[in-house]
Amino acid sequence: MKLFSSYNRILSIITLTGLLVIGFLFYQTLGGYINKQIDDHLFEELLEVQDFAHVKNILPSPDGFDDVVVEYKKINKLQDKRRLFADTNFYNPKKKHQESARYLKTELILNGQPYEVMIIASKFERQEQIKSIILIILIPVIVLLLILWLVNRILIKRMWLPFRQLLTNIKAFNINQEKVFEPIQTNIEEFKALNKAVLDVSLKVKSDYKEIKLFTENASHEMMTPLAVINSKLDTLLQSNTLGKEQSEILADLYKATSKLTKLNQSLLLLVKIDNNQLQDKEEIDLRALIEEKLNYFQEFIQKRNLQVQINLDTFSITANRSLIEILINNLLSNAIRHNYDGGSIRITLTSDNLVFCNTGTQGKLHPAKIFERFYKDNASEGTGLGLAILKQVCLRQNYELVYNYHRDYHQFSINFNSL
Amino acid sequence: MKFLIVEDEEGLSKSISLYLTGEGNICDHAATYDQGYQKLSLYDYDCVLLDLTLPDGEGLQLLKYLKKINKTDGVLIISARNSLDQKIEGLSLGADDYLIKPFHLSELYARIQSIVRRRHFNGNSIIHFNELEIDTTAKETKVKGKTVHLTRKEFDLLLYFIVNKNKVISKAAAVEHIWGDDADMADSFDFIYTHIKNVRKKLTDSGCKDYFQSVYGVGYKFADV
Repeated sequence: MKLFSSYNRILSIITLTGLLVIGFLFYQTLGGYINKQIDDHLFEELLEVQDFAHVKNILPSPDGFDDVVVEYKKINKLQDKRRLFADTNFYNPKKKHQESARYLKTELILNGQPYEVMIIASKFERQEQIKSIILIILIPVIVLLLILWLVNRILIKRMWLPFRQLLTNIKAFNINQEKVFEPIQTNIEEFKALNKAVLDVSLKVKSDYKEIKLFTENASHEMMTPLAVINSKLDTLLQSNTLGKEQSEILADLYKATSKLTKLNQSLLLLVKIDNNQLQDKEEIDLRALIEEKLNYFQEFIQKRNLQVQINLDTFSITANRSLIEILINNLLSNAIRHNYDGGSIRITLTSDNLVFCNTGTQGKLHPAKIFERFYKDNASEGTGLGLAILKQVCLRQNYELVYNYHRDYHQFSINFNSL
Repeated sequence: MKFLIVEDEEGLSKSISLYLTGEGNICDHAATYDQGYQKLSLYDYDCVLLDLTLPDGEGLQLLKYLKKINKTDGVLIISARNSLDQKIEGLSLGADDYLIKPFHLSELYARIQSIVRRRHFNGNSIIHFNELEIDTTAKETKVKGKTVHLTRKEFDLLLYFIVNKNKVISKAAAVEHIWGDDADMADSFDFIYTHIKNVRKKLTDSGCKDYFQSVYGVGYKFADV
């Protein structure tokens, strides 16, 4: 439920109940007041009847009054001298229909004779008055409430605008991008506080992330010199003329491990570099020519494994950083070769905006999300486990869409260059 | 040839000097900026191997100094930083090449010789090894005056072995020389075997002696025994 709806629900329940209670009480009070007025009038009429009887010694005619009806009834003796006021219905002979009315019933002595006198006054006009009064009061109140509700709605919408903006900005915040969190402009204290808190958190996250990257970079760099020493010592050892078969095998393994460690380090550094956006010089790159060049470059590997390569390349150029795109093509192609079986096949399709690498492989469908994680690899893989992570990072940086699919025994990596 | 190694990591400079010394080469060594400064002022070298991060100064400052005093020593920067900016800065300051740590000594030696060749023979250098004749500019190989057709990679491989003659070159070093860093294929070591086999065949078919020697599956050596 939206904040406004929740707020509105409570408000409308209170308003409606309040309106009903106040309306009821108002009606009651007004009714009572009107009754009292009629009663006063009836009493005045009664006094008039008494005066009339006293002065003229006759009873006034029942129809002689303008707005009341008077009835006399002879009684034997006075029993109840109280004046009784009550509501009733009576037949209005002038208007010829039943009307609600109020009467005064009392017993009194007129011309020395006890009478029961009943004076009836129509309430019709008074009721009309009440209706008018209530309408006059109720309609503005309702209109006022409606206006209030509308104003509330607009106001809340406007007041929460900074919040909405804040939310959009938080969503737009990306730790990988240079852009920092964009603070919003607002005068509202609460939003200011929220804004500041989010800004602080984002800056902290950014600086922490930067530190981690810096650490990775420094650690990798620091490792390069010892690696250089190891490498050079291995090369020196290799020159010794006294190497036996066994030592040579150990040496070969050491070479392999050192080379792997070096590659791992280089890949980590490359990731940091891509993360830091250090490769920014852009140029026009003929993708078709680049792919053909790389195919030529890897041809010995392809021939050795007896791989069938089908290429279907349209001429297509993109504007990007050359090193990044070379890494991209290199990784795609070397993966397609490395994870293939002897005699397998590779299909490369380049249409405008779209590059697809398909290859048969020793494995079935891979996990479409996990394969792009760092250091995710199957046990058989000799790689660093960073190749696809680098691929993903390059695509992320360049705003390319990278998708993995598995279709009819083919692993398929497709890149859309125009996803934005 | 005379080389100066400006490198604070003793283990590394020792291995380098061990590899380079011999066959008429002499190696000098400087572990600090000051030592490097002194040696560069006093002596002339065919090639200076310059580490960029020294305990008491920047290697690039030494390079600037060298250019200021108008020395014509070749300079090969060896750095742990694979930064394009630094590379461009170093090369624009007059360094001849830029090698990133870690490297294979054979690669280092090949680069040094390439620098020396460019500096001393204006790039037009023909390398002789018995009946073999290699034109590094035209990328031509001749056996007893007869041209042998080698592919680009085969030529690079042969040149790599000849400049490192009498040294054992590991398969890893050879692979990296030919395919660069991208060659992280599991079975890439086998390709070197195939490649060397091809080169060997082409050379021996042209009447060249087989100078390639396999060293227990770790590497190869190009030598006249």
